[in-house]
Amino acid sequence: MADPYDQLKESLIAGDGAGVERLTRELLDAGRSAREILDGGLLPGMEVVGQRMRSGECFIPEVLLSARTMQAALELLKPHLASGDSGSLGTVVIGTVEGDLHDIGKNLVAMLLQGAGFVVVNLGTGVTSAQFVAAVKEHDAQVLGMSALLTTTLPHMPETIAALSAAGLRDKVKVMIGGAPVTQAYCDEVGADGYGANAALAVETARALLA
Amino acid sequence: MENKKIPTRMGDGSLTWMTAGEIRADIEEGTRVAAERAKVPPLDEAELGHLLEIFASASRFTGVDIGDEVVLTYDGVGSQHIGTRIHDLQLYEQHLGADSVELYHPDYSFKAVKTVVPYEQGVMRQAQANVTVPLNYGAMPDLGRYTQPDGPVPNWSTLMPLGKIDEARAAQEEAVEHAVADMVYVCDGMLEAGADGVDFDTAGAAGDADFLAALRAIEAVRGRHPDAGIQIGMASEFVLGMHGNLEYEGVRLAGLWPREQMKLAAKAGATIFGPAVNVNTGKSGAWNVARAITIVKPCVQEAEIPVHMNVGMGVGGTPMAPWPPADAVSRSSRALVDILRLDGL
Repeated sequence: MADPYDQLKESLIAGDGAGVERLTRELLDAGRSAREILDGGLLPGMEVVGQRMRSGECFIPEVLLSARTMQAALELLKPHLASGDSGSLGTVVIGTVEGDLHDIGKNLVAMLLQGAGFVVVNLGTGVTSAQFVAAVKEHDAQVLGMSALLTTTLPHMPETIAALSAAGLRDKVKVMIGGAPVTQAYCDEVGADGYGANAALAVETARALLA
Repeated sequence: MENKKIPTRMGDGSLTWMTAGEIRADIEEGTRVAAERAKVPPLDEAELGHLLEIFASASRFTGVDIGDEVVLTYDGVGSQHIGTRIHDLQLYEQHLGADSVELYHPDYSFKAVKTVVPYEQGVMRQAQANVTVPLNYGAMPDLGRYTQPDGPVPNWSTLMPLGKIDEARAAQEEAVEHAVADMVYVCDGMLEAGADGVDFDTAGAAGDADFLAALRAIEAVRGRHPDAGIQIGMASEFVLGMHGNLEYEGVRLAGLWPREQMKLAAKAGATIFGPAVNVNTGKSGAWNVARAITIVKPCVQEAEIPVHMNVGMGVGGTPMAPWPPADAVSRSSRALVDILRLDGL
């Protein structure tokens, strides 16, 4: 008989929502802890999905299906998590910077982060530096993600980083940036902590920043 | 001598100076990253040496040896660079060595062109009376044009981030049906007006559904016009899985590289396959050409139909610049023909 965690992992990779729900319930009924289920099947499954996306073996729709399935499983596990264990890898505040209305890529990143086990506070588009700072403070975020598609709106990224410093929050939050015109060189130049060239790499970067 | 700086180009066309050792290192890296990504063999020592010879030369222009010339199959000509579209076709035929030319409408999308087919037929008839080389008619499958508000189906790029994966996939499947109907209608009209062939250009630009639409249209056109030339030019080296589950003849389209793309194009009924490998503007021309050759080599080795590789602005190792410099174009063209033994460009 196959290992139940392997089954759970494979069902998650396949985006099989019904299968993941059934297996998660069975594992809970068998007395497995929510943390064991997360670490044994769900998180390793999302890891494989990310790797396959990077190598061109699976694509955005499949990744999103797995992410959505992971989200549903997390909802099932939440009531069973130990006190103080939210089951989350951390809280990410994410948004598109002021003056920029593009949100398709940013929303994909938000979905994948959620699927990977982060709590995501999605502020939408046209977010000012003051709104980013307020949200980081309110949600006690460990990561701030900023997206931009227009080169003309890129300067709002360093502006927000400066605002975090002015508010005394810069040392408490890791800043990630992304979007078509953003590069690693720009990330280094403006003093951000991480850059994701695509949605899968953004999740990897967030994990690495909080490791 | 080793430290002598040689003028060469970056992928954006800008001039830079590198030593022979630096160029060699770029060539090695270009083939290595391509081999890893596309899961194909890297170039061998003789091929790397030949690329170095081409790129370490300071000559203004280079070219293949006499006798090694290949057919030049042009797409995207017949606009109005000088005078009328027909003047442009004549210019390419008579002054630029084109072995085939392509009339096209500036919208370059089958969906847009279907509204002006009678007008385009008139131009095609006139053009055929004025050029001697084979004259094709070309446009893009351009699947994105079928999304709202410009088209009839919901926009899958908007649906997917909302988690509406099934709806996004259904929208793409519906768009394929519309696109195939439009492509067949336009091809019928232009072939009946005297075109020697048709070109499905930049196929796969909107992902696997875009490629599927092109393949299905080719199959239909081949069935209706058994003797027509049918050319397909790809948008990039890799078919993006915007749908992910689409298949043609039992083969999943998402994630296909040129070798597998060519096999499906041949199966559908195409007579010429044009692989495309996009340029990284932050890397040197030598890096880009090494990468392009590595990716396309298995496609040429197993070719079932003539392979005319896309070489031009931003593809085939040629700089992404409106008017790519002649030194760069001649280097990439010569390297591709010498090493890949292509049927044409």
